[in-house]
Amino acid sequence: MNSLDPRINRLSEKGQITSEEKKKSLDQLETYEVFLQKREGQPFRHEGIVHAPDEELAWIFAKEQFSRRQTCTGLWIAKTENIMVSELTENEESVYDLYEEKYCGEGNKYAIFHMLKRGKQHVYAGTVLANDESSAISCAKAQFSDEQVFNIWVVKEENLLISSEEDKDMWLTVPEKTFREAYAYKASDKIKEYKKRNA
Amino acid sequence: MNTPAIKELLYKIGDDQLILGHRNSEWTGLGPILEEDIAFCSMAQDKIGQSLAIFSILHELGEPDPDTNAFLRDAKLFKNCQYVEMPIGEFDFSIVRHFLFDNAEAIRFKHLTDSSFIPLANLSKKIKGELKYHTMHANTWIKRLGNGSKESIDRVQKALNDSWTMALGMFEVSPYEAELIQEKIFVGEKVIMQEWYESISATIEGTELSLPDLYSSKPMLGGRQGLHTESLIKLLDEMSEVIRLDPEAEW
Repeated sequence: MNSLDPRINRLSEKGQITSEEKKKSLDQLETYEVFLQKREGQPFRHEGIVHAPDEELAWIFAKEQFSRRQTCTGLWIAKTENIMVSELTENEESVYDLYEEKYCGEGNKYAIFHMLKRGKQHVYAGTVLANDESSAISCAKAQFSDEQVFNIWVVKEENLLISSEEDKDMWLTVPEKTFREAYAYKASDKIKEYKKRNA
Repeated sequence: MNTPAIKELLYKIGDDQLILGHRNSEWTGLGPILEEDIAFCSMAQDKIGQSLAIFSILHELGEPDPDTNAFLRDAKLFKNCQYVEMPIGEFDFSIVRHFLFDNAEAIRFKHLTDSSFIPLANLSKKIKGELKYHTMHANTWIKRLGNGSKESIDRVQKALNDSWTMALGMFEVSPYEAELIQEKIFVGEKVIMQEWYESISATIEGTELSLPDLYSSKPMLGGRQGLHTESLIKLLDEMSEVIRLDPEAEW
């Protein structure tokens, strides 16, 4: 068959082996999860993820990534792989329904984060003492399960990089930095004026 | 109040911040990774914000308004050290400059919290947290790169060596130095330089890097007296492009 369309002509051609090679690993950094406290007394909330080569730089990046424009009083970092994620439940079912309640008071410290609405960010509920992540959820059930929870994240506290009390001054001037906000430049007013002048 | 001495002090601080802030902002969109791009440019913005605060104090002392002062002043009247006007080079040079400059800046402002010139003391207290983050950012990077691959260690070491005489120019003394010290306005460059060397040594000690000796080389001086390189002229031309086109423009 001879067609004017070269793609048709190529249909009968057989593929040839040129070489086989391994898929190359991607040039990516590790990811770290970022939790923010916006105001004193409010719970820490999952805010997003940063790429970084290590935990310390992750904290440094997260600070500007997520708190350069809004009030903030604290920042926690956890390496993504150090977060244990529970089942995700739907409708009326709470993820705590899947676990037995356990009262415990010894072991390691585990921070518990709740997803209170599907699609919403995880919010810090509190810390429990337990021997592993799974039993941490059982212990948390005894302490923090009055609300319906769709998903739980558990992080061993030694794997959380927590901003120190005296570093809170790093955010003191943020509310004054209106030059970071588009509204401060009144761009839409200026465009309106310009249009009016040139109408 | 020793106004000439205070003005001279404010100009050198404000000009350093304005010029380095502008230089570092040139990394916008070009940072090595997105997260660093945002952090580095955000700190550049902080620097320009801090220079605005300094120029506002100068304005209250009778100098031109901050915009005119920043954008329409002749290069000969700029008191920044020459180090900050140098082009950004590659990231190794820029991150080393950020490390050397911001550590000095944080120490300078730490001492200024005790200044007898109250507006400057108040500003220094206010921006303490901002400066803390800036040095933390710089030190964390140097620690990381200084313990990284052979390439990262070699490149940071080279940038340190190349920067050294320029960096020492940050501590060029003022003609009013003795009065500033005596009237407890400013502790003086000698003290700042000594503490700076101790501070950066503490970070460098935790790495494979080494610092040149403090007195091994002659500092690059002149910036504080208005002597500048071609780089500053080009930078000021670029910075004032809009205001020269339309002096009434608001932005």
